[in-house]
Amino acid sequence: MKASANNLNQTQLDGNVIDRCKRGDVRAFRELYNAYAAAMYNICLRMTGNVSDAEDTLQEAFIQVHRNIGKLEREASVTAWIKRIVVNHCLNNLRKKKVYFEEVEEVEVAEEAGIDEDSFTWTVSAVKSAIHGLPQGYRTVLNLYLFEEYSHREIADMMGITESTVKTQYMRAKEKVRQIVKQQNLIR
Amino acid sequence: MPENFESFIQQHRGAFEEPGPSPRVWDALERELEGGRKGSVVSMLGKNWFKAAVIAVLLVNAAVLFYFAKHKQQQQQDLAVVIPEMQDAKVYYSNRINEKLELINAYPAEELGLDSAARQELQLRNDTYKTLENELKNNPGNQRIRGAMIRYYQLKLELLDKILEELHEKHAAPTTHTKKQYEAEI
Repeated sequence: MKASANNLNQTQLDGNVIDRCKRGDVRAFRELYNAYAAAMYNICLRMTGNVSDAEDTLQEAFIQVHRNIGKLEREASVTAWIKRIVVNHCLNNLRKKKVYFEEVEEVEVAEEAGIDEDSFTWTVSAVKSAIHGLPQGYRTVLNLYLFEEYSHREIADMMGITESTVKTQYMRAKEKVRQIVKQQNLIR
Repeated sequence: MPENFESFIQQHRGAFEEPGPSPRVWDALERELEGGRKGSVVSMLGKNWFKAAVIAVLLVNAAVLFYFAKHKQQQQQDLAVVIPEMQDAKVYYSNRINEKLELINAYPAEELGLDSAARQELQLRNDTYKTLENELKNNPGNQRIRGAMIRYYQLKLELLDKILEELHEKHAAPTTHTKKQYEAEI
Protein backbone atom coordinates (compact mmCIF):
# COMPACT_ATOMS: atom_id res chain seq x y z
CA MET A 1 0.00 0.00 0.00
CA LYS A 2 1.27 3.43 -0.88
CA ALA A 3 0.71 6.14 1.67
CA SER A 4 2.39 9.47 2.14
CA ALA A 5 2.96 10.71 5.67
CA ASN A 6 1.00 13.84 4.93
CA ASN A 7 -2.04 11.97 3.71
CA LEU A 8 -2.01 9.39 6.45
CA ASN A 9 -5.36 9.16 8.04
CA GLN A 10 -5.32 8.19 11.66
CA THR A 11 -8.68 6.53 11.32
CA GLN A 12 -6.73 3.62 9.84
CA LEU A 13 -5.97 2.80 13.46
CA ASP A 14 -8.45 1.63 16.01
CA GLY A 15 -8.94 4.17 18.71
CA ASN A 16 -7.31 2.07 21.39
CA VAL A 17 -4.19 0.98 19.49
CA ILE A 18 -2.05 3.66 21.08
CA ASP A 19 -3.32 2.79 24.54
CA ARG A 20 -2.55 -0.88 23.92
CA CYS A 21 0.91 0.04 22.62
CA LYS A 22 1.49 2.00 25.81
CA ARG A 23 0.64 -1.13 27.77
CA GLY A 24 3.30 -3.08 25.84
CA ASP A 25 0.95 -5.00 23.53
CA VAL A 26 3.15 -6.18 20.62
CA ARG A 27 0.15 -6.94 18.42
CA ALA A 28 -1.02 -3.36 18.80
CA PHE A 29 2.44 -2.16 17.94
CA ARG A 30 2.28 -4.29 14.81
CA GLU A 31 -0.94 -2.51 13.88
CA LEU A 32 0.72 0.83 14.44
CA TYR A 33 3.70 -0.26 12.37
CA ASN A 34 1.47 -1.50 9.54
CA ALA A 35 -0.38 1.81 9.46
CA TYR A 36 2.76 3.93 9.24
CA ALA A 37 5.51 1.73 7.81
CA ALA A 38 4.96 2.55 4.13
CA ALA A 39 4.77 6.30 4.59
CA MET A 40 7.72 6.39 6.96
CA TYR A 41 9.75 4.10 4.73
CA ASN A 42 9.25 6.54 1.87
CA ILE A 43 10.62 9.35 4.02
CA CYS A 44 13.65 7.20 4.84
CA LEU A 45 14.11 6.23 1.21
CA ARG A 46 14.00 9.82 0.01
CA MET A 47 16.38 10.93 2.75
CA THR A 48 18.92 8.13 2.59
CA GLY A 49 18.72 7.41 -1.12
CA ASN A 50 18.95 3.63 -0.89
CA VAL A 51 16.77 0.73 0.21
CA SER A 52 19.18 -0.82 2.69
CA ASP A 53 19.83 2.38 4.66
CA ALA A 54 16.14 3.28 4.47
CA GLU A 55 15.08 -0.03 6.00
CA ASP A 56 17.72 0.15 8.71
CA THR A 57 16.73 3.69 9.59
CA LEU A 58 13.06 2.76 9.64
CA GLN A 59 13.78 -0.10 12.03
CA GLU A 60 15.80 2.12 14.37
CA ALA A 61 13.12 4.78 14.32
CA PHE A 62 10.35 2.34 15.21
CA ILE A 63 12.41 0.97 18.08
CA GLN A 64 12.48 4.51 19.41
CA VAL A 65 8.76 4.88 18.81
CA HIS A 66 8.21 1.71 20.83
CA ARG A 67 10.43 2.89 23.67
CA ASN A 68 8.88 6.31 23.90
CA ILE A 69 5.23 5.76 23.09
CA GLY A 70 4.40 5.94 26.78
CA LYS A 71 5.47 9.58 26.69
CA LEU A 72 3.09 10.46 23.85
CA GLU A 73 0.56 12.75 25.47
CA ARG A 74 -1.75 13.74 22.64
CA GLU A 75 -2.74 10.79 20.52
CA ALA A 76 -4.05 13.15 17.85
CA SER A 77 -0.46 14.10 17.09
CA VAL A 78 0.82 10.55 16.63
CA THR A 79 1.52 10.98 12.90
CA ALA A 80 3.57 14.12 13.37
CA TRP A 81 5.32 12.54 16.35
CA ILE A 82 6.34 9.38 14.50
CA LYS A 83 7.32 11.38 11.43
CA ARG A 84 9.57 13.62 13.50
CA ILE A 85 11.29 10.61 15.05
CA VAL A 86 11.85 9.12 11.59
CA VAL A 87 13.19 12.36 10.15
CA ASN A 88 15.51 12.88 13.12
CA HIS A 89 16.86 9.35 12.69
CA CYS A 90 17.50 10.02 9.02
CA LEU A 91 19.33 13.25 9.81
CA ASN A 92 21.37 11.60 12.57
CA ASN A 93 22.39 8.79 10.26
CA LEU A 94 23.44 11.29 7.62
CA ARG A 95 25.52 13.13 10.21
CA LYS A 96 27.16 9.84 11.16
CA LYS A 97 28.13 9.52 7.53
CA LYS A 98 29.80 12.90 7.82
CA VAL A 99 27.26 14.77 5.75
CA TYR A 100 27.77 18.37 6.87
CA PHE A 101 24.68 20.26 5.91
CA GLU A 102 26.20 23.71 6.22
CA GLU A 103 28.80 22.94 3.57
CA VAL A 104 26.43 22.17 0.74
CA GLU A 105 26.08 25.89 0.12
CA GLU A 106 29.50 25.78 -1.40
CA VAL A 107 28.51 23.40 -4.20
CA GLU A 108 28.37 25.43 -7.34
CA VAL A 109 25.18 25.44 -9.33
CA ALA A 110 25.45 27.50 -12.45
CA GLU A 111 22.21 29.41 -12.62
CA GLU A 112 20.53 29.49 -15.98
CA ALA A 113 18.56 32.66 -16.02
CA GLY A 114 14.94 31.99 -16.75
CA ILE A 115 14.83 28.33 -17.68
CA ASP A 116 11.74 28.03 -19.78
CA GLU A 117 9.73 25.32 -18.11
CA ASP A 118 7.28 25.31 -20.97
CA SER A 119 9.98 24.04 -23.25
CA PHE A 120 10.37 20.67 -21.58
CA THR A 121 8.24 17.96 -20.02
CA TRP A 122 8.20 17.05 -16.39
CA THR A 123 7.88 13.35 -15.69
CA VAL A 124 7.86 11.55 -12.34
CA SER A 125 10.79 9.34 -13.27
CA ALA A 126 12.83 12.32 -14.52
CA VAL A 127 12.17 14.30 -11.35
CA LYS A 128 12.91 11.30 -9.12
CA SER A 129 16.14 10.71 -10.95
CA ALA A 130 17.09 14.39 -10.77
CA ILE A 131 16.41 14.58 -7.03
CA HIS A 132 18.36 11.40 -6.47
CA GLY A 133 21.30 12.96 -8.28
CA LEU A 134 21.40 16.05 -6.06
CA PRO A 135 24.17 16.51 -3.49
CA GLN A 136 23.02 15.08 -0.14
CA GLY A 137 22.49 18.45 1.56
CA TYR A 138 20.36 19.83 -1.29
CA ARG A 139 18.36 16.65 -1.44
CA THR A 140 17.69 16.74 2.30
CA VAL A 141 16.41 20.31 2.25
CA LEU A 142 14.32 19.75 -0.85
CA ASN A 143 12.76 16.57 0.49
CA LEU A 144 11.94 18.05 3.87
CA TYR A 145 10.33 21.12 2.32
CA LEU A 146 8.62 19.71 -0.72
CA PHE A 147 7.65 16.20 0.32
CA GLU A 148 7.50 16.28 4.11
CA GLU A 149 6.06 19.79 4.14
CA TYR A 150 8.15 21.22 6.92
CA SER A 151 8.64 24.98 6.96
CA HIS A 152 12.01 26.58 6.30
CA ARG A 153 12.19 27.45 10.01
CA GLU A 154 11.49 23.86 11.09
CA ILE A 155 14.06 22.51 8.64
CA ALA A 156 16.64 24.99 9.87
CA ASP A 157 16.06 23.87 13.48
CA MET A 158 16.24 20.18 12.60
CA MET A 159 19.39 20.53 10.51
CA GLY A 160 21.13 23.02 12.74
CA ILE A 161 21.57 25.63 10.01
CA THR A 162 20.06 29.06 9.48
CA GLU A 163 16.70 29.63 7.87
CA SER A 164 18.29 31.74 5.12
CA THR A 165 20.69 28.88 4.33
CA VAL A 166 17.71 26.54 4.04
CA LYS A 167 15.98 28.93 1.64
CA THR A 168 19.12 29.35 -0.44
CA GLN A 169 19.73 25.62 -0.60
CA TYR A 170 16.14 24.94 -1.53
CA MET A 171 16.25 27.45 -4.39
CA ARG A 172 19.51 26.00 -5.64
CA ALA A 173 18.22 22.45 -5.33
CA LYS A 174 15.17 23.37 -7.37
CA GLU A 175 17.35 25.03 -9.97
CA LYS A 176 19.56 21.98 -10.17
CA VAL A 177 16.55 19.68 -10.64
CA ARG A 178 15.28 21.89 -13.46
CA GLN A 179 18.65 21.73 -15.17
CA ILE A 180 18.88 17.95 -14.89
CA VAL A 181 15.35 17.41 -16.16
CA LYS A 182 15.98 19.80 -19.02
CA GLN A 183 19.11 17.89 -19.99
CA GLN A 184 17.17 14.63 -19.86
CA ASN A 185 14.57 16.20 -22.16
CA LEU A 186 17.29 17.17 -24.63
CA ILE A 187 18.78 13.69 -24.63
CA ARG A 188 15.46 12.03 -25.45
CA MET B 1 -0.81 22.84 -19.71
CA PRO B 2 2.69 23.75 -18.62
CA GLU B 3 3.57 23.06 -15.01
CA ASN B 4 6.24 24.39 -12.75
CA PHE B 5 8.30 22.12 -10.54
CA GLU B 6 6.38 22.53 -7.28
CA SER B 7 2.94 22.22 -8.79
CA PHE B 8 4.08 19.15 -10.70
CA ILE B 9 5.14 17.51 -7.43
CA GLN B 10 1.86 18.43 -5.73
CA GLN B 11 -0.22 17.08 -8.56
CA HIS B 12 1.70 13.83 -8.82
CA ARG B 13 2.49 13.38 -5.16
CA GLY B 14 1.21 9.80 -4.98
CA ALA B 15 3.36 8.71 -7.92
CA PHE B 16 6.47 9.54 -5.93
CA GLU B 17 5.62 6.98 -3.26
CA GLU B 18 7.21 3.55 -3.34
CA PRO B 19 5.66 0.38 -1.90
CA GLY B 20 6.41 -0.23 1.78
CA PRO B 21 9.50 -1.83 3.29
CA SER B 22 10.33 -5.51 3.00
CA PRO B 23 9.05 -7.91 5.70
CA ARG B 24 12.58 -8.16 7.08
CA VAL B 25 12.11 -4.79 8.79
CA TRP B 26 9.23 -5.99 10.93
CA ASP B 27 10.97 -9.33 11.57
CA ALA B 28 14.07 -7.54 12.84
CA LEU B 29 11.96 -5.10 14.79
CA GLU B 30 10.00 -7.88 16.44
CA ARG B 31 13.20 -9.65 17.46
CA GLU B 32 14.50 -6.39 18.87
CA LEU B 33 11.30 -5.78 20.80
CA GLU B 34 11.35 -9.29 22.23
CA GLY B 35 14.99 -8.89 23.22
CA GLY B 36 14.27 -5.45 24.63
CA ARG B 37 11.51 -6.80 26.83
CA LYS B 38 13.81 -9.44 28.27
CA GLY B 39 16.49 -6.85 28.87
CA SER B 40 14.22 -4.11 30.09
CA VAL B 41 15.08 -4.54 33.76
CA VAL B 42 18.78 -4.39 32.99
CA SER B 43 18.20 -1.39 30.80
CA MET B 44 16.20 0.31 33.53
CA LEU B 45 18.96 -0.39 36.01
CA GLY B 46 21.49 1.09 33.63
CA LYS B 47 19.56 4.29 33.11
CA ASN B 48 18.26 4.80 36.62
CA TRP B 49 20.90 3.05 38.59
CA PHE B 50 20.68 5.28 41.60
CA LYS B 51 16.94 5.07 41.95
CA ALA B 52 17.27 1.32 41.41
CA ALA B 53 19.88 1.15 44.17
CA VAL B 54 17.64 2.94 46.65
CA ILE B 55 14.72 0.74 45.69
CA ALA B 56 17.00 -2.25 46.27
CA VAL B 57 17.75 -0.98 49.78
CA LEU B 58 14.09 -0.55 50.52
CA LEU B 59 13.33 -4.03 49.18
CA VAL B 60 16.10 -5.57 51.27
CA ASN B 61 14.79 -3.78 54.33
CA ALA B 62 11.25 -4.88 53.62
CA ALA B 63 12.41 -8.46 53.07
CA VAL B 64 14.27 -8.50 56.36
CA LEU B 65 11.27 -7.16 58.26
CA PHE B 66 9.02 -9.70 56.56
CA TYR B 67 11.45 -12.41 57.54
CA PHE B 68 11.13 -11.39 61.17
CA ALA B 69 7.38 -11.20 61.09
CA LYS B 70 7.26 -14.72 59.69
CA HIS B 71 9.73 -16.34 62.01
CA LYS B 72 9.14 -14.47 65.20
CA GLN B 73 6.96 -17.19 66.65
CA GLN B 74 9.78 -19.68 66.14
CA GLN B 75 12.23 -17.66 68.08
CA GLN B 76 13.34 -18.95 71.39
CA GLN B 77 14.38 -16.88 74.29
CA ASP B 78 18.07 -17.54 74.39
CA LEU B 79 20.50 -16.61 77.02
CA ALA B 80 20.75 -12.89 77.35
CA VAL B 81 24.43 -12.74 76.78
CA VAL B 82 26.36 -10.86 74.16
CA ILE B 83 27.80 -13.24 71.58
CA PRO B 84 31.44 -12.22 71.02
CA GLU B 85 31.41 -13.13 67.33
CA MET B 86 28.48 -10.80 66.73
CA GLN B 87 30.27 -8.02 68.52
CA ASP B 88 33.31 -8.50 66.25
CA ALA B 89 31.13 -8.63 63.17
CA LYS B 90 29.35 -5.46 64.22
CA VAL B 91 32.64 -3.58 64.63
CA TYR B 92 34.05 -4.89 61.37
CA TYR B 93 31.01 -4.21 59.19
CA SER B 94 30.10 -0.91 60.84
CA ASN B 95 33.56 0.46 60.18
CA ARG B 96 33.53 -0.58 56.56
CA ILE B 97 30.01 0.71 55.97
CA ASN B 98 30.77 4.04 57.64
CA GLU B 99 33.93 4.47 55.55
CA LYS B 100 31.95 3.98 52.35
CA LEU B 101 29.15 6.25 53.51
CA GLU B 102 31.72 8.92 54.21
CA LEU B 103 33.00 8.65 50.65
CA ILE B 104 29.50 8.81 49.22
CA ASN B 105 28.51 11.75 51.39
CA ALA B 106 31.55 13.66 50.14
CA TYR B 107 29.80 14.03 46.79
CA PRO B 108 27.56 17.09 46.45
CA ALA B 109 23.88 16.36 46.96
CA GLU B 110 23.06 17.42 43.40
CA GLU B 111 25.44 14.79 41.99
CA LEU B 112 23.91 12.10 44.18
CA GLY B 113 20.41 13.13 43.20
CA LEU B 114 18.88 11.65 46.34
CA ASP B 115 16.37 13.25 48.66
CA SER B 116 16.85 13.24 52.41
CA ALA B 117 14.64 10.17 52.93
CA ALA B 118 16.69 8.15 50.46
CA ARG B 119 19.96 9.31 52.03
CA GLN B 120 18.65 8.35 55.45
CA GLU B 121 17.79 4.92 54.11
CA LEU B 122 21.38 4.45 52.98
CA GLN B 123 22.70 5.12 56.48
CA LEU B 124 23.85 2.21 58.60
CA ARG B 125 21.42 2.80 61.47
CA ASN B 126 18.18 2.93 59.54
CA ASP B 127 14.88 1.49 60.78
CA THR B 128 15.72 -2.02 59.63
CA TYR B 129 19.00 -1.94 61.46
CA LYS B 130 17.37 -0.72 64.65
CA THR B 131 14.73 -3.45 64.46
CA LEU B 132 17.41 -6.08 63.99
CA GLU B 133 19.48 -4.66 66.79
CA ASN B 134 16.55 -4.76 69.19
CA GLU B 135 15.71 -8.30 68.19
CA LEU B 136 19.32 -9.32 68.71
CA LYS B 137 19.39 -7.75 72.14
CA ASN B 138 16.25 -9.65 73.11
CA ASN B 139 17.37 -12.91 71.49
CA PRO B 140 21.16 -12.89 71.44
CA GLY B 141 21.51 -16.58 70.75
CA ASN B 142 18.98 -16.80 67.94
CA GLN B 143 20.77 -18.05 64.82
CA ARG B 144 18.18 -16.64 62.44
CA ILE B 145 18.48 -13.11 63.79
CA ARG B 146 22.24 -13.30 63.75
CA GLY B 147 22.18 -14.55 60.17
CA ALA B 148 19.79 -11.78 59.18
CA MET B 149 22.01 -9.16 60.80
CA ILE B 150 25.11 -10.39 58.97
CA ARG B 151 23.17 -10.53 55.72
CA TYR B 152 21.97 -6.98 56.29
CA TYR B 153 25.57 -5.82 56.71
CA GLN B 154 26.69 -7.66 53.58
CA LEU B 155 23.86 -6.37 51.40
CA LYS B 156 24.44 -2.84 52.57
CA LEU B 157 28.14 -3.12 51.78
CA GLU B 158 27.45 -4.53 48.32
CA LEU B 159 25.02 -1.73 47.59
CA LEU B 160 27.39 0.98 48.78
CA ASP B 161 30.18 -0.53 46.68
CA LYS B 162 27.94 -0.44 43.64
CA ILE B 163 27.00 3.17 44.26
CA LEU B 164 30.63 4.18 44.71
CA GLU B 165 31.62 2.44 41.51
CA GLU B 166 28.90 4.23 39.59
CA LEU B 167 29.78 7.57 41.14
CA HIS B 168 33.39 7.05 40.29
CA GLU B 169 32.55 6.31 36.67
CA LYS B 170 30.00 9.05 36.18
CA HIS B 171 31.40 11.98 38.11
CA ALA B 172 34.70 13.50 38.95
CA ALA B 173 35.79 12.49 42.41
CA PRO B 174 34.87 15.15 44.99
CA THR B 175 38.31 15.74 46.44
CA THR B 176 41.80 14.42 45.99
CA HIS B 177 41.72 13.01 49.47
CA THR B 178 38.51 11.08 49.08
CA LYS B 179 39.53 9.97 45.59
CA LYS B 180 42.65 8.41 46.98
CA GLN B 181 40.61 6.81 49.69
CA TYR B 182 38.22 5.45 47.13
CA GLU B 183 40.98 4.11 44.91
CA ALA B 184 42.48 2.40 47.91
CA GLU B 185 39.08 0.87 48.58
CA ILE B 186 38.70 -0.70 45.16
